[in-house]
Amino acid sequence: MKDVMLQISDLTVHAGGKQILKNFSLEVGDGEQVLVTAPSGTGKSTLLRCVLGFLTPQGGSIALQGVSVNDQSIWSLRHRMSYVAQEPVLGVGLVRDILTRPFDYHANRELRHNLERVPDLLRQLRLPQEIAEQQIDSLSGGEKQRIALIAALLLDRPLLLLDEITASLDKDSAEAVFTALATREGQTILAVGHHANALPKADRIEMLSVNHDAAGDAP
Amino acid sequence: MIGTIDISWPGMLAAYCLLLIPLAMLLWQGVSILGRVAIAAVRMTVQLLFVGLYLQFVFNLDNAWLNCAWLLVMILVADVSILRHCRLRVRCFGLSLFVALILGTGVPLLYFTMLILRRPQILEARTLIPIGGMILGNCLRADIIGIRHFYDTIKRDSRTFEYTLAQGAQLREAIQPYLREAFHNAVSPTIATMMTIGLVSLPGMMTGVILGGQPPVTAIKYQVAIMIAIFTGTAIAMPCAILMSLKRGFHASGPLRKDVFTD
Repeated sequence: MKDVMLQISDLTVHAGGKQILKNFSLEVGDGEQVLVTAPSGTGKSTLLRCVLGFLTPQGGSIALQGVSVNDQSIWSLRHRMSYVAQEPVLGVGLVRDILTRPFDYHANRELRHNLERVPDLLRQLRLPQEIAEQQIDSLSGGEKQRIALIAALLLDRPLLLLDEITASLDKDSAEAVFTALATREGQTILAVGHHANALPKADRIEMLSVNHDAAGDAP
Repeated sequence: MIGTIDISWPGMLAAYCLLLIPLAMLLWQGVSILGRVAIAAVRMTVQLLFVGLYLQFVFNLDNAWLNCAWLLVMILVADVSILRHCRLRVRCFGLSLFVALILGTGVPLLYFTMLILRRPQILEARTLIPIGGMILGNCLRADIIGIRHFYDTIKRDSRTFEYTLAQGAQLREAIQPYLREAFHNAVSPTIATMMTIGLVSLPGMMTGVILGGQPPVTAIKYQVAIMIAIFTGTAIAMPCAILMSLKRGFHASGPLRKDVFTD
């Protein structure tokens, strides 16, 4: 039996006077690729924000590799996960700078050599090599999403959190993303999306029960 | 050396009469702020009158403790004023900013009186209060620009900021670009003043020393020294104010606290 990478138990989140998540539980095994589906505005992004420690749930608990997520532990636990947002806001500057920046942080300095993989990843995700010299603001939504995915993959984290990552992609680009993810052996993924094709090669698909009190995804 | 040129009471009346010109210009152009101008002029007079009377008392007494207490009151007023201008809650940042302002004002002030003026009594009223006031006034301006820029930019860029944290940055690493930009903006007016000083206008302290009957060379020495002290004060106060506010300004898990803003 696989070790548990992520354990979410009875998660309850209120925001702005509304209940976003109610007693949601999920277990993601080491190396497992799990997709959580639900319609828009039902707390999918909220779920990922809780895992990242950006939101404190009113009830329940989250544990990553057996370590409970709280205000103290989250700083080191973030070094075990990377995140790609639905509409990534990556900052300003050249794509090359955006990809290099995380390796200036103390926690990632030893991984700087991973930048050698950028040309391969660009090729895999059907992006031209010259894109590295373009301003991030000049890219389309789909290009930004793939750059954000490259930034996440370069960090080599055990857990990858993906929020609707193919929402802005055409069919061929989405296929390239899925292939790139499938080739990462042992990579644990928790993805959220509207429907099953948000991660077609998922080992498991879980439904997030619709909470009619929920008013928005990102409180 | 000549004595200070005093202004007689008829002279003061003439000064108020000069106000008639801007009031007439405003009236002519239909700018309806005559009431505000009148209130501002009355407030200025009353405030300065009270401060003048109190300063006269403080100067006559010249008690080191009282001088320091007066300086602390000035810092407290600046503290609340900065946070109001930045639309930040006093209960969240009041104490940290107060300490930062004490550092930003106190360090260059003591250096100025001890090593530049070389006064035998470092806490005497005639140096501590006016020099401290000049440094504090500029710290206030720099802090309003810097702190406001820092918190407003992170609030506006909250998703980028959280993305940085998600990539493994510690809080100090995540705030660094915002702090750098805020610091740059905060000290820029002082640097611009230093670049143009004497060319565009004669600075206040230099004018005061000249009107006080001292030769221009003495006035220049005072002005150069005070500009460096002001620049030092702003360079200490602004980053210290931000760094000391982090615990109250951000959640323990990293994101900016939204409840620190008053709007």
